[in-house]
Amino acid sequence: MTNLMFGLRRSPRTLLERDGHPGPGPGKLALVFGRAGVGKTAFIVGIGIDALLSGQKVLHVSLDRTVDKVRTWYDDLLMEMLRREKKLEHWAAIQLEVERHRHIHTYASSAFSIDRLRQALDLFRSAMDFTPDVVILDRLDSEELEPATIEALRAIAGEIGAELWMAFRTHRDDPKPEGGHLPGAARAFEDMVDLAFSLDPHGNRIRLHVIKDQDEVVDKDLNILLNPKTLLLKSGVKR
Amino acid sequence: MTIDIQRVRNIGISAHIDSGKTTLTERILFYTQKIHTIHDVRGKDGVGATMDHMELERERGITITSASTYVEWNGHHVNIIDTPGHVDFTIEVERALRVLDGAILVLCAVAGVQSQSITVDRQMKRYKVPRIAFVNKCDRSGADPKRVSAALRDKLGLNSVLMQLPIGLEEKFEGVIDLVEMKAIYFHGDNGEELEVTEIPAEMLAEAEDARAELIDAASMFSDDLMEAALEDQATPELINQAVRNGVLALELTPVLMGSAYKNKGVQPLMDAVIALLPCPSDIPIEAVDLDDDNAPVELVSDTTRQTVAYVFKLDEGRYGQLTFIRVYQGTLNKGDTVFQTRTGKKIKIGRLVRMHADKMEDIVTGEAGDIVGLFGIDCHTGDTFVGDGPRLAMTSMYVPEPVISLAVTPVDSKAQTNMGKALSRFTKEDPTFRVGLDQESGETIVSGMGELHLEVYIERMRREYNAEVETGAPQVAYREALSRRAEFDYIHKKQTGGSGQYAKVVGYLEPCEEGDYEFVNDVRGGRIPTEFIGACDKGFKSALPKGGLIGFPIVGVRAVLEDGNSHAVDSSDMAFQTASLAAFREAYKRAKPRILEPVMRVSVEGPAEFQGAIYRSLMQRRGVIAGSADDGGFTRVDGDVPLAEMFGYSTDLRSATQGNAEFTMEFSRYAPVPRDVSDELLKEYGSNKGQEDES
Repeated sequence: MTNLMFGLRRSPRTLLERDGHPGPGPGKLALVFGRAGVGKTAFIVGIGIDALLSGQKVLHVSLDRTVDKVRTWYDDLLMEMLRREKKLEHWAAIQLEVERHRHIHTYASSAFSIDRLRQALDLFRSAMDFTPDVVILDRLDSEELEPATIEALRAIAGEIGAELWMAFRTHRDDPKPEGGHLPGAARAFEDMVDLAFSLDPHGNRIRLHVIKDQDEVVDKDLNILLNPKTLLLKSGVKR
Repeated sequence: MTIDIQRVRNIGISAHIDSGKTTLTERILFYTQKIHTIHDVRGKDGVGATMDHMELERERGITITSASTYVEWNGHHVNIIDTPGHVDFTIEVERALRVLDGAILVLCAVAGVQSQSITVDRQMKRYKVPRIAFVNKCDRSGADPKRVSAALRDKLGLNSVLMQLPIGLEEKFEGVIDLVEMKAIYFHGDNGEELEVTEIPAEMLAEAEDARAELIDAASMFSDDLMEAALEDQATPELINQAVRNGVLALELTPVLMGSAYKNKGVQPLMDAVIALLPCPSDIPIEAVDLDDDNAPVELVSDTTRQTVAYVFKLDEGRYGQLTFIRVYQGTLNKGDTVFQTRTGKKIKIGRLVRMHADKMEDIVTGEAGDIVGLFGIDCHTGDTFVGDGPRLAMTSMYVPEPVISLAVTPVDSKAQTNMGKALSRFTKEDPTFRVGLDQESGETIVSGMGELHLEVYIERMRREYNAEVETGAPQVAYREALSRRAEFDYIHKKQTGGSGQYAKVVGYLEPCEEGDYEFVNDVRGGRIPTEFIGACDKGFKSALPKGGLIGFPIVGVRAVLEDGNSHAVDSSDMAFQTASLAAFREAYKRAKPRILEPVMRVSVEGPAEFQGAIYRSLMQRRGVIAGSADDGGFTRVDGDVPLAEMFGYSTDLRSATQGNAEFTMEFSRYAPVPRDVSDELLKEYGSNKGQEDES
């Protein structure tokens, strides 16, 4: 089962394996930027599935979707991946494995706070023996985000040893980021960001740029095109 | 009498138990002048509300059977299906949803979106039923319709928008502000039947204007005309209603109305909204399938001149015999007409045609496309389609879940035996999720259904309505067996010792199959098995399915592929090939690593946030896999999948773990393999049962 699941991985996250861990690493923060409708949620769910397929535990925190909806996102994407590999007969077993390692937690619009998230993580650990390796936060409004919130989130990630992924919406009329900086409101906390991607429409595909890598703000076109529906790579990685 | 289809509404009223749905229905019937006094569900007058027509329902204060009733409102013709509130009866809800064009989702102004509302909403999504929300009980302490509207967004992901504002709340609740017309509405008279439509109180004007702007913002997404008019500050009530209606029909907008049915407030504007905002039958595309054309979809049109197509969604055995509730989708159904029952091909003559008002009825001569009517003296099942002359059409079959729990019932004496037979035959016709079978070994009658309460209610009804006293066994989970890998077979059945002999050889393999319970593939080339025996092989394999080799439960998800074989000119027969196939199946099955599957329920538990830990633990202790949790500040909801076998007694345990503050619902989710330790235990249990039987 483990090999089969590993073989299904198609997320751009697999490109980050060079340092010996599958993502940006514990306590690190990764951001995904993109305009409305470009597929940020699909991308970030793809990150979650990738972590699950490599045997990690994932906490998906959603501020604007219901548990059912997030679950459906995962189910649809995973099923699509299995369909492509013609391995649909393993669906039930993989889905069960995924559900055991994933927890979806949603907040009604005004209920989210750093304290509540901290309490929830405590509860998941004590009541369910669940400590995530990857936390996905989809999504906070970047306009209202204080650098202090990002700092607190990053601290929580450090305490539990999880990597944190967040998606941010950019706007068509946002000024083009100045060289060496992250776009829009994210500039205010870019020091705390370890890794940043942007998703840009390119014909009928989506082009993936790395805009920050560890300490360096770069704008590296990886020359990677993603499927616009699934935001996945065309082929998988070898173990 | 020809009715204008634009003036027909077929609506359902769905809600969490205790949201006041039955009271609301009762008020609607009163205001439409069908009944002359108002009774409450738990009324002091001992009469009970009109829609709850079964004694048992009266006693428990819940609605179990959906009765259809017909009312008129402002020149419109409205059929109301009262739907049950308990999740164990979801087949009732789903059958009702199938024939509805729209629905009112009733919510309690205090409790808001409760677990049952979530299940009901999920079902409505499944059947794509456009809906409006009614926030009831605004007179109760703690009522907050705006919070409920926000919860519709947060918990159900609905795009809710307020159509009204409350004037006062709790015991000071006086009426509502209509944000479309920008008027205040008060309800006077003994039963709120006198409406006073007047100016909005000055102190609420600013709030009302803000809320109206929000409404127009949300609605203008669905109408360019409204958007343009709004830019020039020219939005008219007609434009707003039309835009909201577009949004409702597209299932992208949920207008929120409010009131207190019990205090007779807000019901008439709700009926106006039903007419203005919910679809008429021709607004909803309906498909049937043509059975003579490989189930090709056929779009039906609400046109009285076309071939008649009608669908049976409910049977009811009453004082006057079997009453069949049908919805006419196309053409007309007239008294004296002859139609065909698609399932059996039988001709049926339409005798008495009625419109139902709960326990009372009016005779009519015609039911037209879009209408819901009752028929008498027709022998049929729910889910049947009746058609006039023309292609053999069937309404696409409804999704009917397999029962997940069963119970042995033993009548106490011979009189009870006879009565039980009558009762069971009626229940199975009415409810496709309620099944009756016979245990071949013990000779006991086994009833199966969707949950403990589902079966309990039928047992209770047997006692009360049929005077059939029965003893029941312990509830039994409906396990399944399935193979987990491919296994070959090569089997010869041979008995050729004098007299007419038997000879058959079958070669092939079994493999797991995801789609459906059983599939037979004939891959035999060159007539190695003569064509006339292929059917016997299929039959032989099939006969192995009802009883698996592990613990004796049905085998599902298997494909039997026949590739080769042999026959004898004289000694081969249907019987020989059947026997060979059955034996080949049983032998290969053992090598196909069979495993036990169990029904897994999707469980939602809801309670105050301080009990979150207790809720998690209660599910984890029951082999639950927790899928997610939702935090809305004070309340928390936990969703998980839990094996049915672990759910017995859960309500008691949950109550004690949360001091009675949490509640839960569950519905069948899927079959999943049981873990090794459970499997070992089941094998042991089955083995020991077997041992006992062998001894006896």
